[in-house]
Amino acid sequence: MESLVVETPESLDELVECLKRADKNTYLLAGGTDLIIRMRRSKIYSGKVIDLSGINELKKIKEESKYLRIGALVTHSMISENDKIKEFFPALMEASSQVGSTQIRNRGTIAGNIANSSPCADTVPPLMTSSAKVRTINGKGEIKERDIDEVVKGSGFNYLQKDEAIIEIIIPKLGNEYLSAFGKLGSRTAVTIAKINGAILVKMDSTGKKIKKAYVSLGALGPKAFRSKIVEDRLIGKEISRQLFHDLCNSLIEQVDLAIKGRSSHPYKREAIKGMAQDIFIRLFGSGVLENEKK
Amino acid sequence: MKLEFTVNGQDYTLDVNPDDRLLDVLRDKLGLTSVKEGCSEGECGACTVIMDGAAVTSCTVLAIQARGKEIITVEGLEKNGELDELQKSFIKNGAVQCGFCTPGMLMSSKALLMKNPNPTEEEIKRAIEGNLCRCTGYVKIIKAVKDVIEG
Repeated sequence: MESLVVETPESLDELVECLKRADKNTYLLAGGTDLIIRMRRSKIYSGKVIDLSGINELKKIKEESKYLRIGALVTHSMISENDKIKEFFPALMEASSQVGSTQIRNRGTIAGNIANSSPCADTVPPLMTSSAKVRTINGKGEIKERDIDEVVKGSGFNYLQKDEAIIEIIIPKLGNEYLSAFGKLGSRTAVTIAKINGAILVKMDSTGKKIKKAYVSLGALGPKAFRSKIVEDRLIGKEISRQLFHDLCNSLIEQVDLAIKGRSSHPYKREAIKGMAQDIFIRLFGSGVLENEKK
Repeated sequence: MKLEFTVNGQDYTLDVNPDDRLLDVLRDKLGLTSVKEGCSEGECGACTVIMDGAAVTSCTVLAIQARGKEIITVEGLEKNGELDELQKSFIKNGAVQCGFCTPGMLMSSKALLMKNPNPTEEEIKRAIEGNLCRCTGYVKIIKAVKDVIEG
């Protein structure tokens, strides 16, 4: 029997050389926290693994005037501890800091989270709310930029070609008028796979009290995370109040009903999503709104 | 495949299989049996080692990915015949019950202390959140780590 081959490119040029020869039995390895388990479970002992972990140029977070460029191999730990991501897009920082455990965050990468395309991938909902772009390179050395929706197919599959690798995630630097937060519910705090996760990004008006634009993305309610127009419409033009919190909860429940009615997880999720709504609401607007207006 | 790396301060050049995990090489090639195989999927933390200063589950790292890296296992904690303060504290506080999770707990806490010598209780809990103790001895384990900080 043919055995597994591992290639270890140390630069982007070497990666392109490896991708040139990629076929349907080629696997891209970054942190390994999903792939290694998956290969062993599926008893894959042949084919080719391209180990990206030696490509140091993909391990940086770079700041430009309008964008932050996150290298494909940037780990969840690096994102959790990065001041620029905290400043310009806290929802992503919160998502990465809630992935798995310390050990998993030390290895798991942002590109791996996207390419693995799990329905409950934690970084996907925040990235979907912003106009994040995924930059890829292929075996011909061609670079492409795509929306996250055009990369994640869902249920563990992606739309990338066999000779394509993610090299960078580009996120816009959002100004002070933007607020973002991520929330997640699982069966326990650590090493938990989200039963529901979601991110909300809002643009406030000049008074800072009213929502001008809203972007909401929910995960683990289908094969992949999706933007929820129902919830977004319920937030736009509204002032921050206790009523808004109730509207948020109700619209989320409406969305859950639409997405998974009839599934065994439906009764649990339509109830549990209120807890997630509360976490996100407090992260966005502070806990004062909910406390002061108690009945 | 040829793997060059450092384990517990010693340089090694080993011939490894492409599908060997770091866990397999440490246990089977180097005989470092403190590295335990539990769940084999990064959930239980029993196989935790320190790689370039960060705690990682060695069951989710391909051996070849450790090329050029520095690995520390429990065997590397003891210096000149004397146990590390953390190990002594685990013993003193009765933080070891059946013992299976202990190496992983030690390495996760050691990685934390190497990075942050004065962590809060919350930071200790977060550092060992990926380590399961089925004897449920968490209180004593956390106490053992805290004792090292307080000296």
